[in-house]
Amino acid sequence: MTLFKYPGKKLLFFLSVVLFLGTSCQKQPNLLFGNSYTNDNNGANIVVVDTSTVLLSTVYTDSTSTNGTGYLMVGSYNDPYLGNITSRAYWQVSPPGSLPSLSPINDRYDSIGLLLFFKKNNPWYGDTTYSQNYVVNQVDSLYQLATFQNGFNSKTVLPLDPDSLGETGPIFIFPTQRDTLPYISQGAGQGDTVKIRLNDNLGKQLYNMVYSLSDTLKNVTKWLNWFHGLALSSKSVLNSGQTGAIYGFKDSCVMRIYYREAGVISTQKYIDFNITNRGLAFNHLYRQFADKSRPGTALDQLKLPAATVQTPPATVSRLTGNAAYVQTMTGLNVKLSFPYLRAIAQRPDYIGLLRATLTVRPVPGSFSTQWRIPPTLGIYTTDQNNELGIPVPAIGLSGAQTGNLSLNYFAPLTTTYTYDVTAFIKGQITNNASNATEQGLLLSVPSPANTTDFRRLVIADQTYPVNQRVLLNVYYISLFPHQ
Amino acid sequence: MKPSLMNYITFVNLQRGSVRPLKIRLLRTKRSVVIYLLTLISLGGMAQGNFSPYSQMGLGDIEDGFYNRTTGLGNTGIAYRSNRFLINNNPASFSELANQYFTMETGIRGSFIDYKGSPVDIASTQSGDITFRRLAMGIKLTRHWGSSIGLVPFSTQNYEFNVPYDIQGSGTEIANHYYSGHGSVNKVYWANSYEFFHHVSIGVEAGYIFGQLNQKDIIQAGNGATQVSTTNDINLQNLYMTYGLQTYGNLGKHWQWGIGGTFSPRADLLASYNKSVLDNDSVSLQNNELQQRYLSLPHSYGVGLSLTHNQKFTWVADYRFQDWDAVKSKNVYPGQDYAIASSERGSFGFEISRKKALYNSRVELSYFQSGVYYGNSYLQINGEQIKDMGVTAGFGINSLKTPLAYSITFQYGVKGTTKNNLIRENYFNVTFNINYGSIWYTKGKKFE
Repeated sequence: MTLFKYPGKKLLFFLSVVLFLGTSCQKQPNLLFGNSYTNDNNGANIVVVDTSTVLLSTVYTDSTSTNGTGYLMVGSYNDPYLGNITSRAYWQVSPPGSLPSLSPINDRYDSIGLLLFFKKNNPWYGDTTYSQNYVVNQVDSLYQLATFQNGFNSKTVLPLDPDSLGETGPIFIFPTQRDTLPYISQGAGQGDTVKIRLNDNLGKQLYNMVYSLSDTLKNVTKWLNWFHGLALSSKSVLNSGQTGAIYGFKDSCVMRIYYREAGVISTQKYIDFNITNRGLAFNHLYRQFADKSRPGTALDQLKLPAATVQTPPATVSRLTGNAAYVQTMTGLNVKLSFPYLRAIAQRPDYIGLLRATLTVRPVPGSFSTQWRIPPTLGIYTTDQNNELGIPVPAIGLSGAQTGNLSLNYFAPLTTTYTYDVTAFIKGQITNNASNATEQGLLLSVPSPANTTDFRRLVIADQTYPVNQRVLLNVYYISLFPHQ
Repeated sequence: MKPSLMNYITFVNLQRGSVRPLKIRLLRTKRSVVIYLLTLISLGGMAQGNFSPYSQMGLGDIEDGFYNRTTGLGNTGIAYRSNRFLINNNPASFSELANQYFTMETGIRGSFIDYKGSPVDIASTQSGDITFRRLAMGIKLTRHWGSSIGLVPFSTQNYEFNVPYDIQGSGTEIANHYYSGHGSVNKVYWANSYEFFHHVSIGVEAGYIFGQLNQKDIIQAGNGATQVSTTNDINLQNLYMTYGLQTYGNLGKHWQWGIGGTFSPRADLLASYNKSVLDNDSVSLQNNELQQRYLSLPHSYGVGLSLTHNQKFTWVADYRFQDWDAVKSKNVYPGQDYAIASSERGSFGFEISRKKALYNSRVELSYFQSGVYYGNSYLQINGEQIKDMGVTAGFGINSLKTPLAYSITFQYGVKGTTKNNLIRENYFNVTFNINYGSIWYTKGKKFE
């Protein structure tokens, strides 16, 4: 029996669907209602501490590997911070694999020279407006590694024949202007290729050996026992106030014998003695630490190794002009220590580390277009032995950090290297080991520039104004105890 | 005793000797009810809850609606009595249930809110949701003893907002605090009422309040990534008693009157706090159970009147008061920069009931309701006590074909103010109530 017909189910269903569609299509409002009323205003916060002491030390490694770098670094310059630095290159040459057949009637010796190539991206450092005088000497002893010697380094010196094979007059190299040009069309000292005329006695002797197809030329061992190698040095004497420069020539240099072949038209020909054993080519670096003309500055109090086998000594920045220095190629790296880091973790509100960033600033005035700073600067762990440890990784990124240099010559204070040191600080901030304060970070130029690049960095210590010194920002999670 | 609809249905079927068809009908109806309920509840669960900015304070938004027959009356019903519907406004009302009668009700609300005020981003000012609000069952245990159990919301919390924040120690860096709070505190109750002298009914409701408020404070990096998150879980629980009284009678042949009162004594909610902090790798930095506290609920009073003419027109009026001022000194509610103040609410409702005489009884077929209300909430912010006012209109039908009754109520209200950097919520609610009733199995034994 149906007494009344109400649209009950259909109406209910219809209204339900309308309600659902109407409400589910709505998005929530954006309310900026302030946090002062919230029930949870005692939540964790982020606090940044940028006053944690960062101690700087310059770590000196007395020798660095300089062989097989691909560049022959030659020259000398005076650095207002790091003193005088001189580099000399050593390498070996070998005769051509197939010797030309020379005719005593048609062919005539002309000259011998050394060709050095400098390309636009080759390393250089110093004042390029200063002229260079290069001198070539022959190595006067066997050019070989000693037993248990793995390679040549920056301290290696080979004896030279005191009589030079040749030298240049004052020449200029323009490192940023252009790439290499065909050297045939250039004269000595023009463009980016250097030609050095060598002693004709050596040239004629080699020419005759080629003519006679000497066994010395056919056998490399015999050749290297007879002709040990060459050394290229800068003859320039830098006086006080003069800067100078060091250039890195490609290790594809050539010792070339020029001769002429007679004919209706005489033609010039040549025999090339190319570089050989590139892995044994090396650069000897010599640093005169104390600039006697500027006493009391920079590295005149740098701690030097006192024993043959010793961990690299570290000199606190207080003894080195309240700064620390990075020039990895010459053995200078900077160690950063954080002696009071644990004090942050001992704060009553500290409950965990969020992140930590390190900002490294070069001393304003210490860098310019002439005194360039390294474009990449690696950061590594180190300990009480001051050795280079493992690269400090950035959280969430793969690969080693190189500082993300922000370079501004016009606003030097904004020039910075920045690092994510969260991983290191996280382990260090609660490190209670006895040697914890000796563990730190090492700033060093990464490979391959660490063996070819003289660009250096001067870093201010805590005595400098805040905006000029190394800054460690520790972002920690703060939660005040409350009930 | 007024004949009830179910008595009538039972009577009709017994007279016709056809109990079986009724059972079949009930089974079918139950199935459809379950389908509807599940559908609506699941829809409600899917919809996102409306933000309520004031819910971040105190215990959240304390519910003042009952989601029953009185919703269309502006939730006015302390003196209201019904032989079919569960009037949980006053525990004394359950003695009015029809004899041998079992009933179940559920309420579902759809809500649309338009937010106004300076803290509101004009690009996004509205929200909507559907939420399940009530489930209750009632039964007439003896001739004078009615009983009901139910689950109703006590308070809810649902807010989200962002606050830029200067990282302490840094003069330039800013992080964003994303605050959110979600959760609800519910009350499960068992109410009993007993009628004396046909004109007095007293009731006791034993409620148990329980629930969790989950609050988060997430500090975000510029790209929105979480850096630190603090979660604060507050578990609340305790007994909450409500006592009720109703007196009623006739004024001549055409009028019935009713007076009601309720009282809930002060109760201390046990609040257990758990705070946990996670870092940006979701590594737990801290997970502490903090000291428990008691959050006091104040004495609550309510009085109401009802007047019915010819069983057709009913006027009801209520006044409710919660003495939050008295417990202010004993409470330390979370949050700050706001005050707890005594709340009050006045409401008035009018109902037209359409009844039909069937077999010497008057059976209600449908009803129309309207109501108004005005109240001060228990929150005082920036010197402004948050006010809530609005109007309601409802319509209900009682099916004779099935043991179901439906009602739909529309409510438009305004809560809060735009003064003093506060937010005003203009809300529109649509409430569905479904009532299911059936004769309680008594093995042939009848109360009367």
